[in-house]
Amino acid sequence: MTSIGTGYDLANSIFSPDGRNFQVEYAVKAVENGGTAIGIRCKDGVVLAVEKIITSKLLKPGANKRIATVDRHLGVAYSGMVPDGRHFVDRARDEARAWRDTFKTPISTADLASRMGGYMQAYTLYQSVRPFGITAIVGGFDSREEAPVDGEVGSGPSCGAGGKVSSKTHGGPFLYMIEPSGLYWGYYGAATGKGRQAAKAELEKLDLSGAEGGITLEQAVKEAARIIYVAHDDSKDKEFELEMTWISGADGPTKGLHQEVPKALREEAERLAKKALESDDEDEGTEEKKGEEKMEE
Amino acid sequence: MFRNNYDNDSVTFSPQGRIFQVEYAAEAVKQGSVVVGIASKTHAVLVAIKRNAEELSSYQKKLFPIDEHVGIAIAGLTSDARVLSNFMKQQCLGHRLTYGRNMPVRTLVEMIGSKAQINTQHYGKRPYGVGLLVAGVDDQGPHLFEFQPSGMTEEMVAFAIGARSQMARTYLEKNIDAFRGCSREELIRHGLRALKESLVQDRELTVDNTSVGVVGAVKADDGTTKVEPFRVFDGQEVTAWIESVADDKEGGAGEGEGMEVDS
Amino acid sequence: MDHRPQAWGRPRDDIYGAYDASYLQTSGPKTATQSPVVTGTSVIAIKFKDGIVMAADNLASYGSLARFTDVKRLRTFLDTSVVGFGGDVSDMQFLDRHLKELAIDEAYEHNDDQQQQDDDDSHHKSTPGTALNAANLHKYLQKLMYRRRNDFDPLWNQILVGGLDAARKPFLASVDLRGTAFTSPSLATGFGAALAQPIMRRYAATDEDAARLTREQAVDVVKECMKVLFYRDARSLDRYSIAVVTKDGVELSEDEQLERQSWAFAERIRGYGTQTV
Repeated sequence: MTSIGTGYDLANSIFSPDGRNFQVEYAVKAVENGGTAIGIRCKDGVVLAVEKIITSKLLKPGANKRIATVDRHLGVAYSGMVPDGRHFVDRARDEARAWRDTFKTPISTADLASRMGGYMQAYTLYQSVRPFGITAIVGGFDSREEAPVDGEVGSGPSCGAGGKVSSKTHGGPFLYMIEPSGLYWGYYGAATGKGRQAAKAELEKLDLSGAEGGITLEQAVKEAARIIYVAHDDSKDKEFELEMTWISGADGPTKGLHQEVPKALREEAERLAKKALESDDEDEGTEEKKGEEKMEE
Repeated sequence: MFRNNYDNDSVTFSPQGRIFQVEYAAEAVKQGSVVVGIASKTHAVLVAIKRNAEELSSYQKKLFPIDEHVGIAIAGLTSDARVLSNFMKQQCLGHRLTYGRNMPVRTLVEMIGSKAQINTQHYGKRPYGVGLLVAGVDDQGPHLFEFQPSGMTEEMVAFAIGARSQMARTYLEKNIDAFRGCSREELIRHGLRALKESLVQDRELTVDNTSVGVVGAVKADDGTTKVEPFRVFDGQEVTAWIESVADDKEGGAGEGEGMEVDS
Repeated sequence: MDHRPQAWGRPRDDIYGAYDASYLQTSGPKTATQSPVVTGTSVIAIKFKDGIVMAADNLASYGSLARFTDVKRLRTFLDTSVVGFGGDVSDMQFLDRHLKELAIDEAYEHNDDQQQQDDDDSHHKSTPGTALNAANLHKYLQKLMYRRRNDFDPLWNQILVGGLDAARKPFLASVDLRGTAFTSPSLATGFGAALAQPIMRRYAATDEDAARLTREQAVDVVKECMKVLFYRDARSLDRYSIAVVTKDGVELSEDEQLERQSWAFAERIRGYGTQTV
């Protein structure tokens, strides 16, 4: 590596002669060691899923949640350094609350991603801090319905357009991924952590296009489970737990809220995922496996 | 180059994405004497080995009550533990005052997690040099949490931290399925047996060096859960428990295995 | 002529008199809300066997003007408690937003209370989880109102909180703009304290009485009280909201109409309506 020994990588916010901030790149390394996290945006909602590596048999099964709720309609999954992820979530909740205080309405997914992208970026600017060792996936469903202003009582005057243009649709499902540099993009399918390469390859196969075509939320849940199972590396980590949350519109199963995927559906998705893996193994035989092992180095 | 340039502060990532200062702080936890915690359906217990500087000196306390429903066991820098314990006490008291209820244990633990994380991201700060086991009960029943200097907090069925704690963890892993249905007394005995696994060769559990802490959630007839307040037992109070695990010599668990030992 | 800089640009004192700086006076107390502006009148509530019933009309008055006639003054909290507001409506809206944030905060920690792993375990399943119950919420509001009073910036409300307590028993309590808090088998704010409370006490003077009331009886009592209040309180309305809270959650109906009104009694009141004598 060209970074080591040059001295340009010893402190945050330092540019190397070729214009890189090595500390941010090292932070990305921390993310690359974390359990896989993915997000899928489909026509009627968003699914978030994480692979939780079981580091000890003594962990209480199912008790340690890794996907957090930020406001009612927003969820955050992350991979990398878990305490950094918790800090990120705390800040995201503060932002969502501050937005409500000012505008009396829930923050949109795009605005939250923007605020949090700015926050992450600020931690690349100073020598007195280090960047976040996480990549975060922010999923949300912005209300499509006319939402009352927080604290509103009664119906108010029933005249005027209220700033809305008729026939224009508002809201919908959104997905963003924010990197340690503060860079963020909107995605149809996002993946980060250890198994991101395999996960991305699988995500690209899905039909996540537009409002009409593409897979449904329930299919997305099953795909998410399968992708986490595909991305899991048996040879390195023995066991893992799958955690999944989803967000639908007001007319969908979660009624616009960010919630854990119900146990029955999750177990069904896991069963299908395992089945898909088994048939894959049979199809592709042993040569594929050898190839995978080579990939590790 | 022998010198590691990346380990001087907690705001520098190594090229592998590690933060050595945080990892070193985790080493400080291993310098402390061992503590064990287990949770069952009705109780959470903490047991600990206390150290004394010399024969005639007193023993350093390892278990501390936080609030009626929570207690902690510490391994590492005692003074750092006191900062965290004072913070936890204040939060519990504040919560009790404003809401009139016991603070949920997970909320409490995540608060110290967040507090500790800040110390790993800002120059001029250092990570806490202490690990905690937090035992408590709330409406959900008993809980056991582990807290690490990195700010990582995880709920465990049972756990051990401190010097040679790997031996105790091995014992706990072997018996993990038994804990959930254990009675209060059985749980304490399991804790003490795990503790014994981690003792150095010629050391014994004695009334002087052993501490036991218990907290419980006992279901009352009217459907409410009554809290058995966290209490620390020391000295003569632990005699019966120590004697009850004195005779089951090897206990069939963990004998003669070349376990990895943290020095 | 005064040529000192501090006199530059000033009208001459000898002609116009000394400058009256009294309006610049900054000393003296800072004042916050001294009286409510847009107000809601009574909130009434009564406990019964399995929960509580609460009601308030849908009127917000501006002084004696019936200014807003579809103001919902009962608010749910986490679908387990209900909060009824009398007094200033804007302060109610502030509190409503505040409680919404509190509810969102609560949901962060307890969203996944389903404890999926413990499904087989009745011990956990039957317990309500660690979310704030009505008693916790009331304690919180009490502290909030008392602090605002000590800041000389009170929230001008009288509030009833109804729901279940930690033991899953019916819970009903009030707190006012001074932070005064108390609980009783039946409660009423504003005019209701004088007009409705005596009626409700006939049915539930003690907790034991309340524990014998059925839901239907309690609803009937409350509806009767709302009628009496509409008859006698000039700041009231015949459209109202009524909420029933039980173990199963909150049932809130926000657009009820007072039924079977009879104004015959008015004929016998001197000075009322069209009477001329």
